[in-house]
Amino acid sequence: MSSSQFRSRCLFATLLMSLLGATALADDPLVYATIQPAQIYLGDSAQLTITNLGDGTTPITLPSVSGLKFEIVARTHEIQIINGSTLPSSSTVMRVTPQIAGIFTIPAVTPKSQPLVLQVNAAPSGAYVPRADTRAAQPPPILSGGPLPKGVRLTDDGSAYVRLSIPKREVYIGESIPVEIEVGMRSGFVSSLNGLPKLAGDNFTLNNLSHQPERNEKLINGEPFVLFTWRSILSVVKPGTFSLSAEAPMTVKIRTRSKRDALMDDRFGDPFFQNLFGTTIPKDVDVTSPPQELKVMELPAEGRPADFHGAIGTFNIISDISPVKADVGDPMTLRLRITGSGSFDRVDSAMLEHVDQWKTYPPKSSFNTSDPIGFSGMKTFEQPVIASKPGAQTLPALSFSYFDPNTRRYETARSTPLNVAISPSLADSTLTAGQVAANAAASGALKSPVGLRPDHVGDEASTPSLTPLYLRPKFLAIPSFLVLAFAAGWVGVRRRRGGESKSIVQAIAQMEAAARAGNERLFFDSARGTLQRLFAAQWRLLPEEVTTAEINTRMGVDNEVHRLFELADESKYSGRAPDATDFVRWLRVVRDRLAGEKST
Amino acid sequence: MSTLARTLCLVAGLQLGALQALAAPVPAGYSAAGLYNLANSYARAGKPGMAVLNYERARLLSPNDPDVEANLQFVRSSAHLPAETRSTFDRVAGVASPSLLAWIGMAGLIVVGACVLAGRLPARHRHLRRAGILLGVCMAGLTVCNGIALWPKLHAGVVIVAATPVRVSPVPMGDPLFTLPEGETVKLAAEHEGFTLIRTRNGRAGWVSKANIAAIAP
Repeated sequence: MSSSQFRSRCLFATLLMSLLGATALADDPLVYATIQPAQIYLGDSAQLTITNLGDGTTPITLPSVSGLKFEIVARTHEIQIINGSTLPSSSTVMRVTPQIAGIFTIPAVTPKSQPLVLQVNAAPSGAYVPRADTRAAQPPPILSGGPLPKGVRLTDDGSAYVRLSIPKREVYIGESIPVEIEVGMRSGFVSSLNGLPKLAGDNFTLNNLSHQPERNEKLINGEPFVLFTWRSILSVVKPGTFSLSAEAPMTVKIRTRSKRDALMDDRFGDPFFQNLFGTTIPKDVDVTSPPQELKVMELPAEGRPADFHGAIGTFNIISDISPVKADVGDPMTLRLRITGSGSFDRVDSAMLEHVDQWKTYPPKSSFNTSDPIGFSGMKTFEQPVIASKPGAQTLPALSFSYFDPNTRRYETARSTPLNVAISPSLADSTLTAGQVAANAAASGALKSPVGLRPDHVGDEASTPSLTPLYLRPKFLAIPSFLVLAFAAGWVGVRRRRGGESKSIVQAIAQMEAAARAGNERLFFDSARGTLQRLFAAQWRLLPEEVTTAEINTRMGVDNEVHRLFELADESKYSGRAPDATDFVRWLRVVRDRLAGEKST
Repeated sequence: MSTLARTLCLVAGLQLGALQALAAPVPAGYSAAGLYNLANSYARAGKPGMAVLNYERARLLSPNDPDVEANLQFVRSSAHLPAETRSTFDRVAGVASPSLLAWIGMAGLIVVGACVLAGRLPARHRHLRRAGILLGVCMAGLTVCNGIALWPKLHAGVVIVAATPVRVSPVPMGDPLFTLPEGETVKLAAEHEGFTLIRTRNGRAGWVSKANIAAIAP
């Protein structure tokens, strides 16, 4: 007899003796509970077995402990005949899964039984403990199940599987492909999941893989399995046909006993007895899903709209504007809502760019996803627009182009044109006082503020502009013309005086030259000519009219000017030569006259 | 006449007045009395922004009208806006209306020009000529001073919408820097695509939608 056979028989004998003893000690049905193991790691499960030795009618209350999750995994009913007497028994096997670490007390299932204690330690480092989705936190107590799903391949020891779900059609480059990775682990046969599942191959990228998978439980081929489901978006970077599979690293418990010895363990379908006798060892394995073929195509160039930005999926659009009534210059918000499923990261719209009588601004967008992976939802574009003219205005329809992978062609969705009513701006209002008063009265806003002085009566001349007259271009032309005219006159006077001064200077120079040369005739001719021009300007005469007789008449004979005119006549007609000192004297006379004229 | 009948007549009269006012042609141009009456109407209608705007416009045409001044201060104080004080320079420069000062300045220019050109007058008229130049310069200088005093007002605007948002950039998005009360007078610095860059009395600047502000001198 082998040692394993001996241990099994000892266990059977112990159970049988205790049952018989209990029957002999009491007439009441005996209900007792055991939990194995009493100390586990977080992420593992313990097994709670409630055995009822009796007719099975004793009600059993399902324990409820905060932080522990109880799930019924099996019920058995047996009738044993021992020494001619029948002994019915029923067992309820529950899996106890801790949600947190700590020491838990499981209350007694019957008033006469004892409470149980379960110690839960934190998971050893390096082990990945998936957290259950909140939606799966309250599973039904009775498991449902069926045969192994199609396309699922269990590991050789039947402890786990990985299933990859992808669309059964061709996909396109740039398309967001929703995928689902399901990891099934047979209860008690898998110690831990050591990481997130991943895709095998370099031609794919997996985006938005959730760290909180959906947790579920299911009977597969009659065996309880814990299922973790991840959903994600798959992107393909190049065309071709690819083999796609998913793998998940985990630690499974490998049996060290023969199948025949392990029959009793499998009787309850869990490793309770294996753990009890230490007949398993942990082993790290990568569980892989069966490969699937995925055909990737490029987007067709034919029929591609000009406003196509790479969005692939199925979309609908709707637009609105708020408010629908506004004043000229008031900002309004034009919204374009794109709903559907697909590659929302490629969903883009320039909205309206150049619309007559409207001022448009760059839009901004926001995305609200309806699933955890961002595959479906609604993207909203908001664009501020401002009307520049009053009246009934119509904003043109908006359009959005995308590629529908189901119909395999480009589609363009269009919204309906939007009608808005634009009122004149208050800033541009040309209402009269009467209109304002009437409008105020009609709206009931008329008030009578005490302290406001009364209106003015009487007509006043109106002005076309509030800009002061002296700043208006038409008025400014008049002073400008005046300034120019005065400037021109001033310049003319200056030139005339400049010409006279120049001729006098020339005459003085000629007189000085004649004096130096001793030319009496030339000197007096120049002196008389200079004085003639000077007096002609003063007396409004021609220079020739300023003669000695005229000098005599106007200035008298006792005068140096008169004497100079006489000397000039003498030198011209008699040829008398005066002294050289006379030149200086008469030059001074002429200069004095010129200086007197300048000073006036 | 009973109270009900009087009320009906009053309402009917108001409605009739409204119809007549709407049917009447809008007079072209501005007049101080018209703007003053319009401002009074806005003040009674509870629109301090438009009231302040039209009082300011009326004051441009008639700077020394005591009614305009009093009602403007009343509306500003009713709207809890700070009182506006006029400096001595403003009072002197605004001794007459800008239109009258325009003609005075023109006359001064003519006097100065004539006196400058009359340089060939006999010596006994020199003092008269100098006095004429001085008078002309004073007349033209008064007009120039009026222009200097009015220049800020000609580049100012009035907020006509309550709690007008002032934004950091000329786009209608994002949170405003601060808000302006209705009736506040601000300096208009620049314009850009439906927005006006304003500067408040205490030096704060930002962009305001054109629909929320109106220039005193459009």
